[in-house]
Amino acid sequence: MLATITVDDEKCNDPLSCRKCLLICPTHVLGLGTDVGPQKFRETDPNHFILRGVRFEKCTGCMDCVEVCPQNAIQVSF
Amino acid sequence: MCVWCDQFAGGYERWYFNPANYARRLYKIRKEEAEALGAEANPQEAGGMAVLGREFLEARERNDYEAMERMKLEAEQMAWGTHFGQVITLDEALKVTDIMYPISLLTCACRRSMVGVPDEENFTCRGLGPGRYTGERWPDTYRGGVHFLTPDEAKEVLTKLNKRGLVQSIYTFGTPFLAGLCNCDYPDCASIRTVVDFGVRVLWRGHYVAKVDPELCNGCAACVARCQFRALSFAPSRNKAYIDQFQCFGCGLCATECDQEAITLVERASLPSLANVW
Repeated sequence: MLATITVDDEKCNDPLSCRKCLLICPTHVLGLGTDVGPQKFRETDPNHFILRGVRFEKCTGCMDCVEVCPQNAIQVSF
Repeated sequence: MCVWCDQFAGGYERWYFNPANYARRLYKIRKEEAEALGAEANPQEAGGMAVLGREFLEARERNDYEAMERMKLEAEQMAWGTHFGQVITLDEALKVTDIMYPISLLTCACRRSMVGVPDEENFTCRGLGPGRYTGERWPDTYRGGVHFLTPDEAKEVLTKLNKRGLVQSIYTFGTPFLAGLCNCDYPDCASIRTVVDFGVRVLWRGHYVAKVDPELCNGCAACVARCQFRALSFAPSRNKAYIDQFQCFGCGLCATECDQEAITLVERASLPSLANVW
């Protein structure tokens, strides 16, 4: 069964420096991206980085990401 | 026959030994083509480095092989025209260093996307060619900066990364323009992951196949941790390394680690059953 992973972007406001979920996921299901394209002459503001479920086929449903998130921003359902 | 050599080698032994494929002219062409396609090349935005999206995973879940095959082909066609790679050996990577300039050290966009690796720990990517002179214009694509290397420095870094266990592979940015020499591993390289997990050839096998000499192998197993392609295992009953040559990508990492010189690289083209397995 494929997991559905939802992330509350309001709560998850700086995933690039937090990255607790990215590091704890045993199968590297999650991915980091931005909600803006690359911008000329400027770095993307940390709050434009977004976390998403990507490689759902590898999600075992262990819930480690849900538990590790200090903002309680991740939900995993099947 | 490697179709890329067939089309782009220009009389050289391999397509990535042809200096024309590193030329700025192609960079300009790429830009126009990419713009014509409306492609904003932002792998981050494209969704955490996934070549195939949820739609593919759902088709896989319901065993819809027809839909999977169609999506695989689409992903491959897209990649082969714009951005795909081929595994090369360390020796080949060092040779590339001698035929083109400039070479720069960059942070890896895959590892940033997969595990958010901080820039200072993430300098494993090699930028090839003049495209990287524009690094300052795109600080986000080139987080951590673009650091130009002399050919000798580039060789030293490549050798170190190979020692560390990372696979060398060369990437197009608008085929056949070659502009990246990646140093990758499973699972945090998007290409290795895609080809190993789904068999989608965004990364092609290299021109060699590794082979174990059972007489020379002393069973130390130092090579086992080196394989990123699930081709090498250890057979305890014989106390020897075993290589599945049909799964081997020919990176040579196992061979560079073997003290006994028990692993050699054989030309893929010399093996009839593997000559067309890419």
